Amino acid sequence: MDHIPRIKVNTLRKEAWDKVTGAAKYNGDIHTPDTLYAKMLTSTHAHASIKSIDTSDAENLDGVHAVITGDYIPVLSGSLIKDKPPIARNKVRYFGEPIAVVVASSKEKAMQAIKLIKVDYDPLPVVNSIANSIKSDATLIHESLGSYDCPAKNVYPKPGSNIAHHTKIRKGNMNKGWAESDVVIESKFKIPQSDHLAMETRNSRAKILPDGNVIIYTSSQAPFAVRKNLSELYNIPEGNVIVRVPLVGGAFGGKATVQTEYIAYLASKAVGGQMVEVMNSREEDISTSPCKIGLEAQLKIGATKAGIIKALECIYYADNGAYASTGPRMAKAIASDCSGPYNIENIHCDSFAVYTNHTYVTSYRGFGHAEFTFCMERMMDKLAASLQMDPIELRLKNAISPGDLSPTQSKITLSNTGNLTDCILRLKELTNWQEDRVVKMDNGMIRAKGMSCFWKTSTSPTDASSGVILTLNTDGSINLNCSAVEIGPGMKTTLAQILAEKMKMDVEKIHVVMNVDTQVSPNHWKTVASMTTFMVGNAVIRAAEDLIYQLRSIASVVLRCPPDDLDIKDQKIYLRDRPEIYVSFKNVVYGYMYPDGTCIGGQIIGRGSYIMRHLKTLDKETGKGKTGASWTVGAQAVEIEYDPKRYTYRLLKAITVIDVGKVINPKTATGLIMGGMSMGLGLATREEFLYDDVGVLEDTSLRTYKLIRFGEHPQYIVDFIETPQSDGPFGARGMGEHGILGMPAAFANAISLAAKAEFDMIPISPELIWKTKTGGKYDPI
Amino acid sequence: MIPFDFKYYKPGTIEEATDIANKTLKKGKKIMYYAGGTEFISMARMHNIYTDAIIDIKGIPECNTHELKNNELTIGSTVTLTSIAEQNFFPLLSLTVERIADHTIQDKITLGGNLAGTIIYREAVLPLMVTDSDIVIANTYGKKRIPLKDIFDKRIQLQEDEMIVKVIIKEQFLSLPSIHVKRTKNEKIDYPLITIVALKDDIGINFAFSSICEYPFRSSSMENFLNDNSLPKDERIKKAIDNVPDKILNDISGSSEYRKFMFHSMLYEILTHFEEVN
Repeated sequence: MDHIPRIKVNTLRKEAWDKVTGAAKYNGDIHTPDTLYAKMLTSTHAHASIKSIDTSDAENLDGVHAVITGDYIPVLSGSLIKDKPPIARNKVRYFGEPIAVVVASSKEKAMQAIKLIKVDYDPLPVVNSIANSIKSDATLIHESLGSYDCPAKNVYPKPGSNIAHHTKIRKGNMNKGWAESDVVIESKFKIPQSDHLAMETRNSRAKILPDGNVIIYTSSQAPFAVRKNLSELYNIPEGNVIVRVPLVGGAFGGKATVQTEYIAYLASKAVGGQMVEVMNSREEDISTSPCKIGLEAQLKIGATKAGIIKALECIYYADNGAYASTGPRMAKAIASDCSGPYNIENIHCDSFAVYTNHTYVTSYRGFGHAEFTFCMERMMDKLAASLQMDPIELRLKNAISPGDLSPTQSKITLSNTGNLTDCILRLKELTNWQEDRVVKMDNGMIRAKGMSCFWKTSTSPTDASSGVILTLNTDGSINLNCSAVEIGPGMKTTLAQILAEKMKMDVEKIHVVMNVDTQVSPNHWKTVASMTTFMVGNAVIRAAEDLIYQLRSIASVVLRCPPDDLDIKDQKIYLRDRPEIYVSFKNVVYGYMYPDGTCIGGQIIGRGSYIMRHLKTLDKETGKGKTGASWTVGAQAVEIEYDPKRYTYRLLKAITVIDVGKVINPKTATGLIMGGMSMGLGLATREEFLYDDVGVLEDTSLRTYKLIRFGEHPQYIVDFIETPQSDGPFGARGMGEHGILGMPAAFANAISLAAKAEFDMIPISPELIWKTKTGGKYDPI
Repeated sequence: MIPFDFKYYKPGTIEEATDIANKTLKKGKKIMYYAGGTEFISMARMHNIYTDAIIDIKGIPECNTHELKNNELTIGSTVTLTSIAEQNFFPLLSLTVERIADHTIQDKITLGGNLAGTIIYREAVLPLMVTDSDIVIANTYGKKRIPLKDIFDKRIQLQEDEMIVKVIIKEQFLSLPSIHVKRTKNEKIDYPLITIVALKDDIGINFAFSSICEYPFRSSSMENFLNDNSLPKDERIKKAIDNVPDKILNDISGSSEYRKFMFHSMLYEILTHFEEVN
């Protein structure tokens, strides 16, 4: 029997036909006649005391069932620091923060009622930048920071300041590092906040049944976090909270936090448990729901003449906005991987999450890595320029390799990190790097190439786990049940392929349970951190092993042989040395029946689980510890055409070479990386939150918030290196986020080269180039 | 979802439309003439526009006119941007409207909607300005044909009950040398950072601008400078920019200084273009 591979084979997504025909349903597509609709009144100020809210006119409007404010069941939420009232109370801390919620018979009525609520604000000084936030006499955004409950142990808010968290990395000996350095480069960097901009805006529905069950229907990456947080916050037994998630229309980290679910729950509670829907408008999704961190950083790097990096000192401030949410974890992630994929023996890093009166943040594709990678990879190009060395050469010289220690002093192995050198060398081929990196064209245009390396690990909790249940149908096909949420990358199909490979059967005979229901599917931590294939994939393999064990046990009775003599393939259990002697799955999975009707065995159910191994929290003073199971490394390049007269540019080509361990579904893997690259180019060139001088977000709609669109994309090239991760499913490592990571830096390196100026902030608009080149004054002479 | 109730009328004649307008206004209610709906729907959704009644004029035959007859090009107010571009009677107008929003939206946006909408750029007016076109408006007392320049001051100055029926462009302008230049902040499709339309007739080059100030405009003093061939191009342009009639926009699309830089280079490009045409 020949082996037919199921992995490294292009496999149609299980949900493809439903999606392309429009039959697929997302959370917001589902309405029932008894649904009521909630709308939020949101703050028009970035920082203000709420003197009074008069909801009486709204309450009296026909069709309005309830109006609630922050006084309704006032509790503070937050997965790391409990600092956020789901509806603002006494004070607003960002423009767009919910201050009242109307529940009405229709969306129209709810919107009408919103207009009738009168709010009297008393404006407070606005902390409108990181610089303002960290001043010694800064206005405090959370006066009670010192008394907040912190459910996470290793988060360090600093009372009397706007600092929500501080991670320190102290590795090696800085004095030695600087002493060994012939060249020292310093620079400052700046990255604005921006939005996830998933096509499906965040939305949820809640109902509370007479039996005490709370049903939440939501567009979430973290149904089990919704269950846990709701249960804890509102004292509902966890088993009574049932969270249901269908296909999710894009998430990018923005649906990993619990936000609309709280509002929906409170709204439902206020109307006696009736089903209530909360559906963000695009404007609310941008300004009310959490966004991506902003960043300011200062880096100093030292190297020998030969280009060996000896020291790195860096300070990062993540603009966390008004509430902590997962911001402190991103500050930690930045610190933990701050060296980039380079071996640096001496590192001193301080990474802060700071409060401002901006939109609060949550995880975003890359989890802080796209941001620090921008800084670090710009530094690499600056260092290369100062050493008069090819930037590729400098990166090759310092590329992380087995035996090195990460900034958190975690040991690097080929298995846990992959092969950066191979990625760089392949990128060199694909970019024709030998050619001049700057070419002046006959028409005056300048073509230039820039590159960046990247690495990323998961920063998951040390106890993150996944489970899988396999049930079977009477035809011998398998149902794969897990709680990875299908947010777009086709991971349920990837998991089916892993199962098919392990079971040596047709992937078409594997049915995936597409929707997630916390009452039905086993827990999976969250569909985040590029960890689904790795974590759930491992659980799938264990569940398959469990299934195989059971199948062989029953078949050994039927075929009268030891289980060890049996193998499995094509839904049959057969004698290894006599394949023609077999029993089919369909004849044993619901018990085996002898010709006389007697049955043995019983229904076969496979189960498998996985928990992260050997992760350690970081030491508070040195940052020593382990944040993830493995890294994924890669190298990227961007080629642009720059117009020196107009200060404009075109994106010509973008290339990624990434070491994914093992490619499972090549076309979806390529698409996933391309999607990340496109988002990264969006950050590099146009995406940003623009606040006016009183902290009001100006680009809250797609009229003004720009993202890269059709016709503006470069040619994308994606290539894979496969250095297996020994504890990954068939060697696969995480890759979901990684396409984004090096794009902003690669673009900035290309444009810096083409325009002969240093670009250390993004997005890099033609106006920014003009300003940088000319000083920003119109001077016609 | 539109969070307020409003009446919807679809009259078949101008008389009927203006009659509804008049009667509704007399009751102290707000009205809005309506065609493509792109602005109304997207803004009403967020409480950014309110009306008690909309009067959909797409069913009025005269508003759908699109013909070249008796040396005049007539384009009804409910003709879509897509249709203008496809019929292409007036290439300069086609080029201009093809760069307003994206193709899907161009299928909906009408000429009248772009001229009378609330979004400040109203780029479709620019080719009408440089061709000294006429506009036909109607109210309960009937229709009148007015030179655009007599009724355009920052926007088409319509009374509440008045609607745009059509625009009329003289055929002699349709094939004159002309150019449309649009620059955006960074996108292929976006509101303009600056849009300029220029057309050369036997007297000189006519210019019309959008997104320099808060409204589209044509300025005779700027045109005088730009047409003054006794001065070098840079000098002419500088003088023109010094004579912009109002504050230069300074917003998230671009600072006023950047706009001036961009304005200068666009004008330079345009003047060079016409030199080459000569």
